[in-house]
Amino acid sequence: MTRPLPRTSAGVLLGLTLAVLAGGCGGTSGTGRSRASATAVSTHPAMTIAGTHASAQEVADAAAQKPTGAGPRSELSPLPTSAFTRPLARYRAYAGAQADAMQGDVARLAAALRRGDRTAAQAAWLAAYDRYLRLGAAYGALGALDDAIDGTPGGLPGGVTDPHFSGLHRIEYGLWRGAPLATLVPWADRLARDVTRLRGVARTVAITPLEYATRAHEILEDAQRDMLSGRAAPWSGAAVMATAASLAATEEVIGTLRPLLDGRGDALGPVQVEMAQLAGVLAAVRRAHGGAWPPLTALRPDEHERLDGTLGALLEALAGIPGSLETTLPPTIPTIAQQAR
Amino acid sequence: MSLDRRTFLLRSAATLGAGGLAEAGAHGLLGSSEARAASPAAGGIDPGLSSRVPFDGDRQAGILTPAPEQATFVSLDAIAPDRATLAIGLQALSSRARELTQGSSIPVQEVDDPPVDSGTLGTTIAPDALTVTIAFGASLFDDRYGLAGRRPAGLTTMAPFPHDDLDPARCHGDVLLQICAGRRDTVVHTVRELLRPVRSAFALRWTIDGFQGAHRGPSARSSRRNHFGFRDGTGNPDVGDDALMRRLLWVGDGDPGPAWTTGGTYQVLRAIRMHVEFWDRVGLREQENMIGRTRDSGAPLGGTDEYEDPHYDVDPKGERIPLDAHIRLSNPRTAKTDDERILRRGYGYHRGFDEAGQLDMGLVFVAFNRDVERQFATIQRRLADEPMIDYITPVGGGYFFAPRGTRDAADWVGSGLFA
Repeated sequence: MTRPLPRTSAGVLLGLTLAVLAGGCGGTSGTGRSRASATAVSTHPAMTIAGTHASAQEVADAAAQKPTGAGPRSELSPLPTSAFTRPLARYRAYAGAQADAMQGDVARLAAALRRGDRTAAQAAWLAAYDRYLRLGAAYGALGALDDAIDGTPGGLPGGVTDPHFSGLHRIEYGLWRGAPLATLVPWADRLARDVTRLRGVARTVAITPLEYATRAHEILEDAQRDMLSGRAAPWSGAAVMATAASLAATEEVIGTLRPLLDGRGDALGPVQVEMAQLAGVLAAVRRAHGGAWPPLTALRPDEHERLDGTLGALLEALAGIPGSLETTLPPTIPTIAQQAR
Repeated sequence: MSLDRRTFLLRSAATLGAGGLAEAGAHGLLGSSEARAASPAAGGIDPGLSSRVPFDGDRQAGILTPAPEQATFVSLDAIAPDRATLAIGLQALSSRARELTQGSSIPVQEVDDPPVDSGTLGTTIAPDALTVTIAFGASLFDDRYGLAGRRPAGLTTMAPFPHDDLDPARCHGDVLLQICAGRRDTVVHTVRELLRPVRSAFALRWTIDGFQGAHRGPSARSSRRNHFGFRDGTGNPDVGDDALMRRLLWVGDGDPGPAWTTGGTYQVLRAIRMHVEFWDRVGLREQENMIGRTRDSGAPLGGTDEYEDPHYDVDPKGERIPLDAHIRLSNPRTAKTDDERILRRGYGYHRGFDEAGQLDMGLVFVAFNRDVERQFATIQRRLADEPMIDYITPVGGGYFFAPRGTRDAADWVGSGLFA
């Protein structure tokens, strides 16, 4: 699966203009506006494409049927897979640390449930959910473990009463709907066991470069589709906090990829601008609500609109990341006739 | 019983007395040019309005008949206090649907009375290719009306599939009305008029409006596009092939009963939200790999024509069309899966936006099949982990049974249930 190279969209341009007008983006606002010329695309000359003796640029030139060294060059210069080794190692260490911290949150949650302290249990639940979302990039690769920890009842025959409805949201359902706290203890114990497994998995999970590059925008796509719409955590209303946690995870992923993205086209600049914009809007919301994340229902309509719009603009910018980080050229699709021969 | 019989009878009388359009329509003899000539205002009328689809016949209209541009799906809960009221309500639905689909004139009543028709289409109601298809949900066959023993053998309450996020308020129902016509005002008028005589028998449970894209070529056969920009419906079986339709759609004498279900078909409706903002951020090649077709032409990847066979046999490893592409999973085109095929007759929907400011657009997926378990559900289970699931969320719908059509103006859809 491949994606085309990024195009600077109207939404990104609007965001950039606003950022420049507001003057609130520090040193990042200028980088996104300079659209790199095709010849300036980075080549990482020391690295070769797996299975060849050619550099990424040479392979791209060959694919575009351009003589090597003659410009303008194709923008399609794939990265060697090895370029992702350090970003992925850094990310795995980060994810492992988040999982470790989550284990502590879940232990506090279980303890609060056992002593019947709903307020403390809710606070510990929010901390655990925050940690899990900060882990971000991993959850697509976690499969059944993700369902056990973060599954929602929508696809289950029994809905919220289905025996397979477990994990964070099963506890959330009881915690915010007045269920006797003792009935939630078994779910918290089970969650603790799953998080113990998570600590190991997060440090070793296999992630392909394409998956990792794609996660850069899919973490926040989920925030928009599931969180700010109120679907993901309906009982706690933790959507705003969840969006902030997802932004933190995205910032981490982009941070690990920054050495690869620097100098590769124009994808990184708009992303940095829009991440700063969203961080600013989230901080303003938090300030306006007494320094705490407000439940989704407590957001003023103008706050909700601004959050939605800023997140949308960031997502438009992030959509350019995967195409900038390809490790292979888009394969030519054979025709039916060719295959039939 | 509290059904407003007076209104109902008044309407029937009005239609019988209308002559002209209605009478000719009942016999199905009047061509479109004659219908226009019979109109009191031949000038200034959209030509398509005179297009008429017969209501009576072996098969209910709105299944094999071409899908006109507009539709509304209305799910009703039966609130009739007893079986007789339910039967009269169903009778009234068919009777009123027949009048509206065949065209009629509204007689002038005494000015003291509320008009017998809302008048939103004027005094001459043109057919406009209107069809009203009536189907029943599993819940109708509980203990309320003594129909438990008559439940169609294959009719169940739709259970969620993995990745569904079904809203109970937008699911199921005792009766489903599928109302299709060329113009929005015709559909809206029909919904309004159909409910009027049956208020004490049925309550609205949920509705959803749909529309078709225009035919934009390049050829007359080219399928219309959905919200993802891809042509939809290419793989449908040929509705003109009666033997095939008997195999794939119509419940036959040899099928599990009961007998009244013979000649009917199972209708699957799924309201599937399509996350269009997310989709629009996906590269074209990835979009095409998820679907298995070229976006522009609709041809299978590696092909040139929309209706070309995808030839999975020469692509066993998915080098041309990925093994998990939508078209490949939904219809593998093998001898084994041949009897799993369904007839799709979906509509796009667009109903505002969600709490996160994202457009609430999607597909009213409608499929007709002879055996939900063998056909639709089998396909759906195979699609469980297709890459496209991230971009769609099924949010509503249900399983229904659409009985055989009506014999004549004295018959009504569902009469076999009470025979």
